[in-house]
Amino acid sequence: MSEHCELKYTDFKSDLSVRWCPGCGDHAILNAVQKAMANLKVLPHEVAVISGIGCSSRFPYYMNTYGFHTIHGRAAAVASGVKVANPNLHVWQITGDGDALAIGGNHFIHLIRRNIDINVILFNNQIYGLTKGQYSPTSKRGFISKTSPFGTVEDPFRPGELALGARSQFFARTVDKELKLSIEVMQEAAKHKGTSIVEVLQNCVIYNDKTHEAITDKKHKADRTIVLHHGEKMVFGANKDKGLVLDGMDIKAVTIGEDGYTLEDILVHDAESYHVSMHRKLANMDYPELPVALGVIRSVEGLSYDQSVELQLKEVQAQTNISSFEELVNAGDVWEVK
Amino acid sequence: MRELKLMKGNEAIAHAAIRCGADGYFGYPITPQSEVMETLMAERPWESTGMVVLQAESEIASINMVYGGAGCGKRVLTSSSSPGVSLMQEGLTYLAGSELPCVIVNVVRGGPGLGTIQPAQSDYFQSVKGGGHGDYKLITLAPASVQEMADFVELSFDLAFKYRNPVMILSDGAIGQMMEKVELDEFKPRWTDEYIEQNHKWATMGKKKGDERSVITSVQLDASVQEDFNHKLQAKYREVEENEVRFEKIMCDDADYIFVAYGSSARICQKSIEIARAKGIKVGMLRPITLYPFPVKELQELAKQVKGMLSVELSAGQMVEDVRLAVNGKVPVEHYGRFGGIMHSPGEVVEALEQKIIGE
Repeated sequence: MSEHCELKYTDFKSDLSVRWCPGCGDHAILNAVQKAMANLKVLPHEVAVISGIGCSSRFPYYMNTYGFHTIHGRAAAVASGVKVANPNLHVWQITGDGDALAIGGNHFIHLIRRNIDINVILFNNQIYGLTKGQYSPTSKRGFISKTSPFGTVEDPFRPGELALGARSQFFARTVDKELKLSIEVMQEAAKHKGTSIVEVLQNCVIYNDKTHEAITDKKHKADRTIVLHHGEKMVFGANKDKGLVLDGMDIKAVTIGEDGYTLEDILVHDAESYHVSMHRKLANMDYPELPVALGVIRSVEGLSYDQSVELQLKEVQAQTNISSFEELVNAGDVWEVK
Repeated sequence: MRELKLMKGNEAIAHAAIRCGADGYFGYPITPQSEVMETLMAERPWESTGMVVLQAESEIASINMVYGGAGCGKRVLTSSSSPGVSLMQEGLTYLAGSELPCVIVNVVRGGPGLGTIQPAQSDYFQSVKGGGHGDYKLITLAPASVQEMADFVELSFDLAFKYRNPVMILSDGAIGQMMEKVELDEFKPRWTDEYIEQNHKWATMGKKKGDERSVITSVQLDASVQEDFNHKLQAKYREVEENEVRFEKIMCDDADYIFVAYGSSARICQKSIEIARAKGIKVGMLRPITLYPFPVKELQELAKQVKGMLSVELSAGQMVEDVRLAVNGKVPVEHYGRFGGIMHSPGEVVEALEQKIIGE
């Protein structure tokens, strides 16, 4: 990243007119990504945006960066190829719940397991929008759609649980219309070395309107979501009078000053703990039982794929007694033809 | 009593599958064929006939669910459009290698890659030459109307079980999306387990005392055994080529020239024939209904009569190779077609006939 330049988010805008439905959450996510990139002072030519197939995957057309509109479900694999072939690029993968978690589920978990330094922005609108309204792997059980007119009979994935199960070292969640929070978590994701997963709760205004509204609307969001900050007490609510405590093995939401709970009892968020169990509990919190966690849930320093490769090269080089090309040619199974 | 309805080609596939007693459908949304699964879901056949309908996580999952269902001797199908059918090629070669029957519907769109969502016929090679690895064939039927979309579902199952081989219904975005009147067959019951057990000994039904162990596989590590198996497959394909060629001849009796066209191109060419004949050009059409097996003998006969043939396809020229192979240089054979999602007009086809064939 260059420290010298002054960048505006418009430097990341392409000259193509954006073709998402009016009111689609994707517009706000595009803004957030462009603003995060400007803040990060990364130059457009240092960035590659890789997408699969779906509404969100039109993203590369609207970015004044390198772009790659690839195959349904395969963006994680293509992005992996881009990053390992050219590690100098800042690689962002744009994907949706269908692209990443249905057809691309395999590549998604293996990208995370390898910990390749890619920022994955996962648009979760719980529907297939581009093909006009079939249920997706994050649609809630009983969800009615064109391919489930009587409700789905399948349980959905929770993207956070899946990512953490694949040993994700960085998982954050934001909401399409929470621009400030989105910019903040995207910057954190970009700074993280290794695969970063950012789940964006996104509204599909045509085929699944208001799917996240119960927790994201202005009136209720303070009481139904909690924005986590590393090292800070996990408090929430319009009056900041609610908090999270541990009740046995489970998380419980309490009101400070009621039932004998004081601010002292409220848990402090440790995003950097290597142990995943608390992060999994936080990622799985769901309304109405608990507030939905937003912000950086897990951010743990570990070796990225690139770093591991470099480290291995150094180790092997240190152990070998081959120091020249001639020695290499003469090493191993060598014989003379007479 | 056949029931008269107005519907899209994609919807006709769904209704015909339920009515002919299919046991299962597995699919994944893709334009321009998502109505197949949507119609099946809306019709709730699991409550009427007991047919299973499942939205898979990908086309790879769909074809492998078909592989599993077919292994049980059930009549199972999937549908998709070009990019999705490319994903299914691995499953198809294993199905053919395991000699299992199933039906695949490809509502073709323009390629290569993600291409467009508009109609094309550029998956001809993939369908009739195998598509996946190894020496195998898919019996390929090309519907040219919504009626044929409906009629070919049961026919495909019949052929699939007769030859224990996958059957492809090669349609396109135009036939899938257009609405026409269609006569639907009466509801037929699904096969009972007893019927399957008696008629399809290879099916996975559970091993009873004294039964031979049956393992479905397509691997033979002994190359000579694998060669023997390939000979058996090839003998089956020769039988298919002998018995199952289907085609339609339109105004060929007095023709000096013919169009060779299938599916939506054949529909366009019907109008082209009218235009050309009004101009005094005696042109007819051979419409292959089975693309594999291809109507080779019929084309050879027509080559004795006509002065030239124009293969009209929504592709850069694929079927034209098979027409040339059949005709073997007897008369000039040229190709005409728009592609990448653009359809030719009847007038353009006549112009191409005049320039490429008559003009010579």
